[in-house]
Amino acid sequence: MSEKTEREKIKVTVPSYAIQLVPNFLKNREKDIKEVEKSLKKEDFETIQRLGHSMKGSGSIYGFDGITELGKIIESSAKSKNTSEIKNSLAELKDYLNRIEIVNE
Amino acid sequence: MDILIVDDSEDQLLVLKSILNEKGYESIHLVSSAEEAFDFLGLKDKKKKKGEIDLILMDVIMPKTNGIEACERIKRENALKDTPIIMITANREEAQLQAAFQAGAMDYITKPINITELLARIRSALRLKMETDSRKERERELTEMAERLDAANKKLTRMSYLDGLTGVPNRRYFEEFFAREWKNAIRLNSPLSLIMFDIDCFKAYNDTYGHLNGDDCLKKIASSLENALKRPRDFLCRYGGEEFIAVLPDTDKKGALSVAKRFLEKTDKLKIVHKNSTVSKNVTISVGVAAINPDKKSKPTSFIGEVDKALYEAKQSGRNCIKEGFTT
Repeated sequence: MSEKTEREKIKVTVPSYAIQLVPNFLKNREKDIKEVEKSLKKEDFETIQRLGHSMKGSGSIYGFDGITELGKIIESSAKSKNTSEIKNSLAELKDYLNRIEIVNE
Repeated sequence: MDILIVDDSEDQLLVLKSILNEKGYESIHLVSSAEEAFDFLGLKDKKKKKGEIDLILMDVIMPKTNGIEACERIKRENALKDTPIIMITANREEAQLQAAFQAGAMDYITKPINITELLARIRSALRLKMETDSRKERERELTEMAERLDAANKKLTRMSYLDGLTGVPNRRYFEEFFAREWKNAIRLNSPLSLIMFDIDCFKAYNDTYGHLNGDDCLKKIASSLENALKRPRDFLCRYGGEEFIAVLPDTDKKGALSVAKRFLEKTDKLKIVHKNSTVSKNVTISVGVAAINPDKKSKPTSFIGEVDKALYEAKQSGRNCIKEGFTT
């Protein structure tokens, strides 16, 4: 990702059914990030895989395709115990969460 | 329509509930593990009131009991075997889908969930559930109706063979069962007897005491003399008016005469006052008896004619007595 795009906001269209749930959903992703970081230290790849799996499963339905994409990478790199890949994805996820701008459907 | 969603992800549970609520499905129940689902469905404690559920959405990958094991467990429950289960799975791996269907799942949807697909599958599962429910209801109604019809038929058959006033078998019963005993007697080469009797001066009784008392008199005599028959195949029928006939299978004339005597004695014991009788101060009967060892050449009608003639003779010779018919 270039420097230029990083500063730009990512517009996310949240479907009507998810609007009220989004704040809690995003809070749960912040928790996920902390838990992945903790698990990385313990080399607990199983937990990371599970967290990636659930991000993958729930991102799109809330309108956050980026979370589903990154969840998929986190899950598969945890499976292959690829620490650097996990770290990269985690950084991307933080960046993504910082840049999103919610647009109602 | 009640839908139960089983998923270990809170985000997934809440968003699915919200989607379904938005589409008009109001009764959505959320549980976050298979164990909670078992509890909700009343699988753990049979005494606990169960949540009535029309559809279950079940995540496959869950800690502890996974969705496939949970599906299998739920389907083992007789009351839940027609409750559709849709599995929510992250992959389309052949082996996993096969396991899900084998466990009794009706359908599956893959994550990330496509909402149009989700709603279409839910609609079709609920339609199936409703059809199954109404079919079961119809089947239950049909069985119930068949049972009622059967009972009514049995009652009608019983009634069609009984005399409405006295409660003893009627003429129709006589025709059918006398014909049967006649054949039996030929086949077994055994004797068969008939006793025909009627109430003496019954017209005078009716004229004196009225028809209601006349009916009462018929009832008393019918029930008392029916009780005078001891053997299970013997039966007494109301032949018409104040005339009755008793069929005594495997009974010769000697036996029939002793039953006829018992009839006279029983009638006497009833002591039904009849002041205008030409015979006695109480009601009496006249009795004809006939016995036969029928063979293929014998005619049942002439045998009945014989006992009828014997009864006529008893009337001619002063009533309140027994006369025998001609014996073959």
